[in-house]
Amino acid sequence: MKRLVLAAFVLLAVDTRAQTPPETAFEDDVHAAAGLTCASCHKTEAAGAYAAPARTSIAPLCASCHSDAAYMRTVDPQVRVDQYLQYQTSTHGKRMAAGDARVATCSDCHGAHGVRRVRDARSPVAPANVVTTCGRCHGDPARMAAFGRQATHPAEWAASVHAAALIKRGDTSAPTCVSCHGSHGATPPGVTSVANVCAQCHLREAELFRASPKREIFDAIGQAECLVCHGNHRIESPADQWVGLEKGAVCEQCHDAAGDSGAAIRDIRQKLDTLQDATSTADARLTRAEHAGMLVEDGRLALQLAREHQVQSRALVHAFAPAPFAKTAADGVAAARRAREAGEAAMRELQLRRQGLGVATLLVLAFLATLWVKIRRLPPA
Amino acid sequence: MRLRAWLAERLPLDDVLATLRHKRVPHHEYSVWYYFGGTTLFLFAIQVGTGALLLLYYRPSAAEAYESVQFIVARVPFGWLVRSIHAWSANLMVASAFAHLFSVAFLHAYRRPRELTWMSGVLLLVLTLAFGFTGYLLPWNEVSFFATRVGTDIAATVPLVGHALVRFLRGGDDVTGATLTRLFGFHVAVLPAVATALVALHLLLVQRHGMSVPPSVERRAAADPGAVRSIPFLPHFLLRDLFAWTAVLAVLASLATFYPSELGAKADPFAPAPAGIRPEWYFLWAFETLKHVPPTVAGLNGEFVAVAAMGSGAVGALLLPLVAGRSPRSRAIVVWICAAALLFMGGMTMLALRTVTP
Repeated sequence: MKRLVLAAFVLLAVDTRAQTPPETAFEDDVHAAAGLTCASCHKTEAAGAYAAPARTSIAPLCASCHSDAAYMRTVDPQVRVDQYLQYQTSTHGKRMAAGDARVATCSDCHGAHGVRRVRDARSPVAPANVVTTCGRCHGDPARMAAFGRQATHPAEWAASVHAAALIKRGDTSAPTCVSCHGSHGATPPGVTSVANVCAQCHLREAELFRASPKREIFDAIGQAECLVCHGNHRIESPADQWVGLEKGAVCEQCHDAAGDSGAAIRDIRQKLDTLQDATSTADARLTRAEHAGMLVEDGRLALQLAREHQVQSRALVHAFAPAPFAKTAADGVAAARRAREAGEAAMRELQLRRQGLGVATLLVLAFLATLWVKIRRLPPA
Repeated sequence: MRLRAWLAERLPLDDVLATLRHKRVPHHEYSVWYYFGGTTLFLFAIQVGTGALLLLYYRPSAAEAYESVQFIVARVPFGWLVRSIHAWSANLMVASAFAHLFSVAFLHAYRRPRELTWMSGVLLLVLTLAFGFTGYLLPWNEVSFFATRVGTDIAATVPLVGHALVRFLRGGDDVTGATLTRLFGFHVAVLPAVATALVALHLLLVQRHGMSVPPSVERRAAADPGAVRSIPFLPHFLLRDLFAWTAVLAVLASLATFYPSELGAKADPFAPAPAGIRPEWYFLWAFETLKHVPPTVAGLNGEFVAVAAMGSGAVGALLLPLVAGRSPRSRAIVVWICAAALLFMGGMTMLALRTVTP
């Protein structure tokens, strides 16, 4: 809720600045802080009568300082100076150079008169805001139709596991548009490079896939590796049910039940299900024992190990080979069994305690009854 | 029999037994309340026994306290039972001590010549609460850590010496491992030494003056000496005492087995205080009272006023035999004040329980 309010505040601040008079917005601009004035950019106009520079000239204008390493060292030594070079390689830059002023230039993303540092949470290109910024054009069907492109990508991303990480968990390292497409050099990753983009974070899965027999097959038929199963913008949290031959499973898109591949898919799915059942059962046993007041640390440690094996075995699905997967899954099932046994042992111990207490209570009650009889039989005082 | 003869030759066993058989205890419709004193003593003995067993494994440092309690509960044979009995016995002992104190007040057993018996009893109740407070932090878990921080903070409201008092209780500015070591020292050395001396004095005074008879029974006895019976201490009263102790033991064992004391998460001094932090049930009434006190009362710090009022109440209870008059009207006032105090404490405790129960 707090993050939602913060996001609303940021959006409101961005929107408010867009309506703010340029001279007012510029007061809070990183360039004003660096000592620049209106005339620094509006070079050809008389003071007080500034006109907006032509859209095609904005990037070269910004680059006149931002590509000058000697100058940038005097105001911000840490800032990069290759943005314009990258921009020229991007789809935006190429179209702009060709005179198509409809595409994005520096001020479309960073703002014109209220520019803030990227690390400033109020910046339109800060991690929490960048999808909204890209979405102003790429989520606008009318604008995208002119380029023959879909405008669904920002909305698809918003439903992805990556958006959930950024928005719900506040993980600013979660991928947004620029993580995969680049920022200044923005361009869609092609079939051959998309796996490299995913591998920036999902290294283990990428290594397993590259060493698997699937890679050659995907390359041969022109399929874009990760995307075939996981999609691109609307990347959902993977589930064990994706492995399978029934409708809705991703394997089913290419495989049927016949042959070795069908048997291998069934086998992997069966082992994944077994491991999931084993961890769920162990967790239930341990929780029951804990609720009964028993300590089951050893069981919890074994369950943690089982879950680590489960994560590893799910990653090993990307090897498309039964052997390493089967061993890890079996190790996970064994750890889950130890966890379940620890929970069951705790419950047996609890039963034993209760039986012991039952016997002790009977003895105490018998003693109380004896005392009572003895008290009643005492001679009158 | 040879052993008994051997002992009797060396110890005054026969004299002691003869004294106990000769000693008589009044027996009337209110004499059931006499057994709460013995029950409290029985629970104190259990605390000493189980506390000594816990000491064999407990380590009083911030780095090891939680783990050592975890070890006791999970690895030491019957460690779970010993810890649970220690925790439950502490609670039952506080309840029994309160019942004993209020029954003595309502039956006016504090009257001359039992003033010192009453005052040593009030001090023993304060010591029992101090045992509870100092023992609460020892498992070094999340709830006890933050409750101790809140509890020791209250001492800061005392004018002039408040901050020095807090530093004394904590062994520093905040609750740390130094606080744990300090409270452990109080719990296992200072308080037991003082309590043992006070219990000895209390029992000596009870033995010296015998059991008090309520004024209404006294009046009946004055009119008809045969109307109020008495029973020999041995075996009549002692067997009844033994009956009460055995029943308490059965309740204690059941509570320890079916509701074992939870350990919770280890204390993290750098973590924010979790929701639902509260002290033990016998401090809840004071905790709830402080929550309802306005920031300022008559220009004074409200928390200080509340703490001062509670402190005055404790001092008033201690000095009750000296300030209470002998007339029936004075005794009625004592009954009404005690009833009001009991109602207030009970009401505030219920309110606190209702607030924190999800």
